[in-house]
Amino acid sequence: MFAYVIRRVLIAIPVLFGITVINFLIIKLAPGNPVEMFIDPNTPKELLDAKKELLGLNAPLLFQYYQWLSNLLQGQLGYSFSTFAPVAEMIRERLGPTLLLASASLFVGLAIAIPVGVLSALKQNTRFDYIMTGLSFIGTSIPQFFLGLGLIYIFAVQLKLLPTGGMTTLGGSGGVGDLISHMILPVFVLGFVVAGKKVRYVRASMLDVLKQDYLRTAQAKGLHAFVVTNKHALRNALIPIITVVAMEIPLLLGGSVLIEQIFQWPGIGQLTIQSILSRDYPTLMGLNLVAALIVLVTNLFTDILYSAADPRITYR
Amino acid sequence: MKNNYRITLLGFLASLVLLLSACASSSAPPAPAQVSPQGSTTPTEAKEKPQSEKVVHIGIVNAPITLNQINNQGDSASDNVLALLNDSLLDINEKFEFLPKLAQSVETKDSQTFVIKLDPAAKWNDNEPFTTADVAFTLQLALHPKVESNFRLNFIEGLNDTGKLDEGTAEISGLHIIDDHTFEVKTKTPIDPLIFKERFGTKVFFLPKHVLKDINPEQLATHPYFQKPEVTIGAFKFASFAKGQYAEVVKNPNYYRSVAKLDKIFIKVLPATNLVAQLQTGEIHMNSIPVGLIPITDYEKVKSFSNIELTSGNPSVPPELFFNVEKISDPKVRQAIAYALNRGLIVEQLLKGQGEVIHGGIPSYHPYFNREIKNYAYDPDKAKQLLQEAKWDNGKPITFLVPVGNKIREQAADILVQNLKDVGLKIDVQKFDFATLIQKVRQGEYDLTIFTRDLYIEPSSYFTLFKSSNPGNFLKYKNQQVDELIAQGETEADPAKRHDIYNRLQEILHQDLPALAVYSEKRLLAVSKKVAVGKPLDLGTYNNVNEWDLNP
Repeated sequence: MFAYVIRRVLIAIPVLFGITVINFLIIKLAPGNPVEMFIDPNTPKELLDAKKELLGLNAPLLFQYYQWLSNLLQGQLGYSFSTFAPVAEMIRERLGPTLLLASASLFVGLAIAIPVGVLSALKQNTRFDYIMTGLSFIGTSIPQFFLGLGLIYIFAVQLKLLPTGGMTTLGGSGGVGDLISHMILPVFVLGFVVAGKKVRYVRASMLDVLKQDYLRTAQAKGLHAFVVTNKHALRNALIPIITVVAMEIPLLLGGSVLIEQIFQWPGIGQLTIQSILSRDYPTLMGLNLVAALIVLVTNLFTDILYSAADPRITYR
Repeated sequence: MKNNYRITLLGFLASLVLLLSACASSSAPPAPAQVSPQGSTTPTEAKEKPQSEKVVHIGIVNAPITLNQINNQGDSASDNVLALLNDSLLDINEKFEFLPKLAQSVETKDSQTFVIKLDPAAKWNDNEPFTTADVAFTLQLALHPKVESNFRLNFIEGLNDTGKLDEGTAEISGLHIIDDHTFEVKTKTPIDPLIFKERFGTKVFFLPKHVLKDINPEQLATHPYFQKPEVTIGAFKFASFAKGQYAEVVKNPNYYRSVAKLDKIFIKVLPATNLVAQLQTGEIHMNSIPVGLIPITDYEKVKSFSNIELTSGNPSVPPELFFNVEKISDPKVRQAIAYALNRGLIVEQLLKGQGEVIHGGIPSYHPYFNREIKNYAYDPDKAKQLLQEAKWDNGKPITFLVPVGNKIREQAADILVQNLKDVGLKIDVQKFDFATLIQKVRQGEYDLTIFTRDLYIEPSSYFTLFKSSNPGNFLKYKNQQVDELIAQGETEADPAKRHDIYNRLQEILHQDLPALAVYSEKRLLAVSKKVAVGKPLDLGTYNNVNEWDLNP
């Protein structure tokens, strides 16, 4: 197992390298550049050229990449082209809020999805099942921005119970209560969407397991129904869910762009959009690197979890 | 054994979830924690705030990107914060009059030598006096060839055409320090004092010499001072800046004019839809122009809010249609397009009457706006006739590039396209983000495009675009007479003669039509009734922000 992990990490290095090369090329291929964002025709061409030179945009592409890479190997992500703040610092500032939002939504989503999915499967084709699969259908298909704006309208504008957005009350003394009140709406929207998708997986997987012979055996042994569902059925049903959940993590951590936009959540997604629009190459490269790392690490985690969850799977 | 394994698995799963949420909650607080150094209000009352602290929240839609006072990177959102932290030599009001600020007076006898007297009381917010040494320091640094700045001072003697010092020169020959509070600036040729007062008087902010004297010009942009410019010279001083979220400024107790009545101002970044919602909930007190536009579609809604005073500003800089003159070379075709457009309909219906149709890039309240010009009326028949006369091939597609982002402009473009199709033209619409659009436009890969230019006080700035020698003239427009008039306007120092020149220029350009203004929107200014004094100006600045106050 340990050797396996080491091997996987070693393989991940060239993969990561490849990802950065491709990202770099794609970013540079996009039309437009940070300097020509100046539309003011009164800006002399010499100034634009000087700025290009200053930002190192006149160097050959390969050399630009080489510079980025050598900086990276020294632990430097460079400075943003628009704010001139260190990229690492900008990402660090944003990563916290995104992690908080993502983990809370994932937690809420799973806390809803797993019990609902299991009950739905156990009570297949009852009214409860229909209502729940119906709700999960809404959860998967409702546009996030619509749900988000609707909830803002009801809870913030009409009822004035919750803030319309942001992460803290500006000028307030902060505190956990304040943070939670800002989290309720975005976490609910994301959690609802996550739950909508996952309920269907849990239900389907549970139904599969319920048909298995060993369940009939367990029941025949006279085990309590609770033990049968919980210990024998649910545990086995959750194995395929691991993959599905693991696939969700990079998506959530990559920043839920729409939700962050609507609720002014100061996360990675917002930063990504701003950097793309202003062609802020160093920040984009930094963000891509972080995203790639997250995906690679989650994949590795999933594989390890798999072998832990299902003893039949062993890695060598 | 196997069972143990499964238990560890479950433990592992659970700890993963815990870990995720734990590391999140431990890493989340630092960002908001710095918000209030002297925070004393309780969170639930924060929104109401009837107590001692007077706080105003200003809503904007675009996020300020930098607090660098010598290089705003052309970003008007950053100007919003910069204008609170920094004072310039002069202020400008909505009647285009210049008012003394850091400078007590700016005088010239020959329109070439300008004598500036600083307010002797002026001092930085750390109580250090502000003197001509700071002025010289700022100019030498900002105009250093390796430093990027938004100062456009190429009219000063000793600077090259790009407005920078030549490599190896440290002193600006046109700048003479007379004493601690008086200095003189000599220009290359006599210029209209308006140019000097706008570009030097209102667009130049200063750097504290006593803080930055050892700075290396080549690494100026990344110097930590510009991430946290604590020493500045405005009515407010820096408190915190969370990029993409808000900027917080607190009152400067050492201000050289009367100390601000407000304790704090937050400039808060939020989407336009939330801007309206937060005006209603009272979470923000006002919007800001031009980066905190209230969608005109929400006009009636905001008007109905009982806690908000809504006014319309002056009709603003219009979005303009720009022609690629190399592709659409016959002025008759361009005129036909002007006749084909129902711009009145856009103002009436899309802007709900909150705007007007004007002929060129200069807004109608600008002193150099030519009132005599008769605008092209909506006349599709005339358009068809002109197209026929010009023998335009209606099957030839016209590539129309539209930038995404400004919803009203996009909707207006839709109407324009429909109008053009109605007279038989074939239009190929392509929408792009701004960076992409500009690249295409600069490379000439377009026939027609639409976007909005900046507001300039100095009239010559509107016409540089049409100069045939300007590499930034993406229209590829060439007209000798226009070139001559532009050159005359730039060098003429007598305001009356300049008026003649610019009236003439506007006439010719309206006839020749390399560009056509589409609509000039009266932008909405919403201010909470809780605010007793205070309102952002139409020009996107705040004057006398130290006098702003809340109702008790």
